[in-house]
Amino acid sequence: MEIWSLPFSPSQRAKLLSAGYTYLHSFSHLSPSALAADLDVSPQEASDVLRVVTQAGMMRKPDSIVAGAQTAWDILCEDRTMNHITTSCEDLDGILGGGISCKEITEVGGVPGIGKTQLGIQLAVNVQIPVEYGGLGGKAIYVDTEGSFMVERAFQIAESCIQDIMDKVLQTDDVGVCQENLHVNAILANIFYFRICSYTEQIAVVNYLEKFISAQKDVKIIIIDSVTFHFRQDFDDLALRTRVLSALAQKMMKLAKKFNLAVVLLNQVTTKCTDGSFQLTLALGESWSHACTNRIILYWKGNERCAYLDKSPSLPLSAAPFSVTTKGIRSVASSCKRMRTT
Amino acid sequence: MPPLKSLQHQFPSIDSNLLHFCASHGIFSVEDFLVHDLYMLVALAERQTSSKGLKEGIAQVLTFLNNQHFPWMNGVELLESTQHNKHFLLTGFDGIDTLLCGGLCEGNLTELAGPSSSGKTQFCLHAAAHVAYTYMCSVLYLDTSNSFSSKRISYRVNRLLASPNKGEKGRSLEGIMSSILSHSVFDIFSMFETLHQLELSLSSQLFQAEIQNSKLRLLIVDSISSLITPILGGKGPQGHSLMLNVGFILKKLAIDYNLAVLVTNHTVVGEGGNSKPALGESWKSVPHTRLLLSRDQMSNICNMSILKHTSMACGQTASFRLDG
Repeated sequence: MEIWSLPFSPSQRAKLLSAGYTYLHSFSHLSPSALAADLDVSPQEASDVLRVVTQAGMMRKPDSIVAGAQTAWDILCEDRTMNHITTSCEDLDGILGGGISCKEITEVGGVPGIGKTQLGIQLAVNVQIPVEYGGLGGKAIYVDTEGSFMVERAFQIAESCIQDIMDKVLQTDDVGVCQENLHVNAILANIFYFRICSYTEQIAVVNYLEKFISAQKDVKIIIIDSVTFHFRQDFDDLALRTRVLSALAQKMMKLAKKFNLAVVLLNQVTTKCTDGSFQLTLALGESWSHACTNRIILYWKGNERCAYLDKSPSLPLSAAPFSVTTKGIRSVASSCKRMRTT
Repeated sequence: MPPLKSLQHQFPSIDSNLLHFCASHGIFSVEDFLVHDLYMLVALAERQTSSKGLKEGIAQVLTFLNNQHFPWMNGVELLESTQHNKHFLLTGFDGIDTLLCGGLCEGNLTELAGPSSSGKTQFCLHAAAHVAYTYMCSVLYLDTSNSFSSKRISYRVNRLLASPNKGEKGRSLEGIMSSILSHSVFDIFSMFETLHQLELSLSSQLFQAEIQNSKLRLLIVDSISSLITPILGGKGPQGHSLMLNVGFILKKLAIDYNLAVLVTNHTVVGEGGNSKPALGESWKSVPHTRLLLSRDQMSNICNMSILKHTSMACGQTASFRLDG
């Protein structure tokens, strides 16, 4: 194995290559002090280098052709037991195959006022529905970049969610037990809120999340509202933007897979000029559109809100109507709808 | 090229005497050795007292160097080897197989580029299912965006199993799906590690004997651009060199172990508003075959066109339908 394929910093790599160390076996029988003298670096740095090299050189006996690979059959069996996070709207759950799936990044985009933040708050509450009542019983992380998270609204939605569960449970006479376990304050306590004011903070939070989630152990959804905000205004270097965003997306993918949680990224819209006419598309450009696993576009159809599944590896592309009510996101048939303001 | 002193342990004839002699001529690594005038070196070695030992050492280094490169082959041998080994793997879409004159070619790196949601992942999943079913081999799917859908694979395999086919008894969904392996890679360095492990597994004799009837024949990377976009550009040439290195390793795996390698790429908007494959000009020459995919709005029909092919004219197109 060659040195350039190992995760060294560019300056370390340059020093190693100019000293003639190109293959792993160049390091055989080398002590840290000898390496430090050769490369003209501190002994600490030399032992770090040797540690990376020995780790790469360890001959792991692979149980399959590549360590960590799973067969499609095992994945199929696992997926059968996988839970989805319901959106509280049956039609929307229907097009999503049961709800927002774990281990995947779902991007939700739409015009301002369509209900993206509402959906985000609804999901942060719904993920906490206990396993007995069809939920995941997990915690939520809400990364707010725009300042649109309203605690009062979250309180309202949490109350309605508990009410809905109680209504269902009433039929089975388990009311007492239910009332004890579900409390609005407990739900709010399980939403971890991060307020972000610049893109560097956004990158820092994503880097920090791995440690945070390892410590918390029960997080099942990460919502970033919205991922676009700090990358739109005053961001001159578009090439840097593409690099930073794709690195961010890959880190989220890794978190989703490693901790088996769902990631929901809320996005804004922009206009694109195609064939002389202007069309609404999601912001952040072409490269970003490849970063997510699933994509849902929210739009107005007359006076009704609709959601269109625009990208999915396993579901057909389809649309469903939904509504935003005082109770949160619900199906169209419910009453007290929040009407269009424009 | 390693420093000469690291070869000391492997080859006893490369002793400290030789190292001292080489150092006196400014030769510290194998690279310096290659660049130096070897006749001059041997002549100077003759004049030394321990000339025999020195000449042995020099000969040993030269043998070490000779073992580093691939053996030469002439045109006839190459043609025979191609006809014997390089088969085409049918993807399961008839129009596409005709377009590619037989399917995915073993030993070649094929790139599939397309805008978002144009059917690249679906094509890869269907091809994986079809190849695993038809050739009774294994398929390795390296996934960078958690889009490997076992449901779609099982749907495709069930359709294939249900189709009337004589002599195909005793094959089950489980058996076929167990030969499709999926691994998630999220950054370029884990990709290098995975490819290195793959190479070790394929080259070890033990492994080949064990998996006689499920040899790896297709490697899919979906998508290579997600790994490369975070590092490409910026101040140094680092990202660039890593991108070319990954292309090089994939091609080497394809040729050495007779695999068909399929990678997906995304598209960016070029001049004039046309979409072109991402990753830039240097990447253009890396894959053997380049295909561009597009999907009509709100339909299940995908169109594939050839951007580059080793034996077909560019610009030809074919369509396929995504069912389900």
